[in-house]
Amino acid sequence: MTEMATREGAADESPAAPSQVSGVRIRRSTRSSRLAIAPALIVLAVLAYLPFLFAQDTTNTMVNFFILLVLGMTWNVLAGYAGLVSVGQQAFLGAGAYSVLWLAQQGMDPLAALPVAAVFCGVVAIPVSWLVFRLRGGYFAIGTWAVAEVFALVTIRSSALGGGTGTNLPGLDGYDPVTLGALTYWAALAIAVLTLLGSYLMLRSRVGLALTAVRDDDHAAEGVGVRPAGAKRVVYLLAAIGAGAAGGVLAISQLNVQADNVYGVQWAAYMIFVVLIGGIGTLEGPIIGTIVFFILQQTLASHGAWYLILVGLVAVVMALWSPRGLWGIAERFGVHLFPVGYRVVHPEESQS
Amino acid sequence: MTTERLLELDAVSKRFGRVVVADGLSFGVRQGETLGIVGPNGAGKTSLFGMISGDLRVDTGDIRLSGTSLTSLSTARRVRSGVVRTHQVPRPFTGMTVFENVLVAAQQGGGLRASHAVDRTLEVIEETGLAEHANVVSGRLGLLSRKRLEVARALACGPRLLLLDEVAGGLTDPEVDTLVSIVRGVNARGVTVLWIEHVVRALVSTVDRLVCLALGSLVAEGKPSEVLARPEVKQIFLGTGAAVDEAPGGLP
Repeated sequence: MTEMATREGAADESPAAPSQVSGVRIRRSTRSSRLAIAPALIVLAVLAYLPFLFAQDTTNTMVNFFILLVLGMTWNVLAGYAGLVSVGQQAFLGAGAYSVLWLAQQGMDPLAALPVAAVFCGVVAIPVSWLVFRLRGGYFAIGTWAVAEVFALVTIRSSALGGGTGTNLPGLDGYDPVTLGALTYWAALAIAVLTLLGSYLMLRSRVGLALTAVRDDDHAAEGVGVRPAGAKRVVYLLAAIGAGAAGGVLAISQLNVQADNVYGVQWAAYMIFVVLIGGIGTLEGPIIGTIVFFILQQTLASHGAWYLILVGLVAVVMALWSPRGLWGIAERFGVHLFPVGYRVVHPEESQS
Repeated sequence: MTTERLLELDAVSKRFGRVVVADGLSFGVRQGETLGIVGPNGAGKTSLFGMISGDLRVDTGDIRLSGTSLTSLSTARRVRSGVVRTHQVPRPFTGMTVFENVLVAAQQGGGLRASHAVDRTLEVIEETGLAEHANVVSGRLGLLSRKRLEVARALACGPRLLLLDEVAGGLTDPEVDTLVSIVRGVNARGVTVLWIEHVVRALVSTVDRLVCLALGSLVAEGKPSEVLARPEVKQIFLGTGAAVDEAPGGLP
């Protein structure tokens, strides 16, 4: 019993304290999640130590992995929980990259500019949400894409920001390349871990339960007092902050910013791909999806068009055979690494 | 007749194109009573619930709860002020367990925090006979349990007025009795109940008063036995009259 109480996260609003009703307890963790804590910490420690073990091209690849992971996780919460199928998250990816560029041009250290850029994207997302939230379903998807294109067109009109051809990111001359590579890697890792923890804690909270209800049936959710619009707006802002941070890291890792790249719709395709093959509406899905996507990319990139054909084929096969993605297959065996649910435990079966 | 009116409909009208679902409808629901609503398909019963719960906007007229107009409030606001409906076809949050389904209602509709929400959830699950299914993912429930869950979720919101839309439909007789006893218990706790039902037996055994609707208008209102004895109501239920033949069917 004490073990169960200590397992409860401090950030959790629903305590494990015995209820007034017949000594029933509410448990939030699962067997597989308790078993996974130690390995997860080891993986995190190894990832943090990686720059000391491998050459810089490995860490550069991993930076791209983390960027995609952050985009996948935020898109999953957007589309998988809030029902906001955005095809325009690259708007915030680009805005994040250009914010870091602009702040660096004003003399700020690009790494220090990262959090500022992320918050800026969250602020920009507020007026954008007023606009795109008037649209539903497919119109929302196209609307968000159009917003991203507008962002790109507005940006390339500024010659100071490099116009259409892009420009180099200043302010990094003080770092030697190895240190810069390691710092960029750690920044990307930190953003990925924060995104994962943030999504996890949010989905475990009241807002998360309300969002899960919205995911299953938004009309019925409203009928039990959920205000879907409010919950969706929160998710949209958080996803913009995540995409903005990812864009900032992208700028620093590439050392230059170019509109076609950072505002490119291919980012939306990558996000959707990793979430769909991993498992939409689960926290674990985008992680699995990003790993699979990266393995495909790394092993097949030299085969040109075959790589795209195979990636497309995988997506089609998953959509047909496992709509809940690869993680949907794992969940059939009762595996949950990030349990966001609740389990009622009666006193007599508290050992289970 | 001096009892306070909890809900009041004042000349409520609503039409979808040429189909009239409410035609100057006026009646009241008294604090603490159970009022049954009967009528043929297309009489506007479910649409009426939609207008009271906020899913549908009224064209003209007013709906008041304890004298305060509801018509401009969102569904979520109405739930928080105590007007909660169940759905004719249960709409569980299929990926969530029974406990989670009810908990979200206790937290959002009931406005309860932390352990208070958990306690309310456990009480309601007990009251509706779902205790043994608490950890079952609701998408796997059978019809009776889904109907129970509809009621449980509504109760967790702490309703003053509970709108039941055919909770007994599609169930066997013993199952109907189970739900009737749940509804009686809820009403005994002081919750006012407005109940649409085609299973007239269940309704008559429970309600204090009955309202009969047809084509968006009030046909009869009064004690259940009196209402069902009226010739115009009999005509509707025996299905012989022109009123039934003209009634548009299959409306939400």
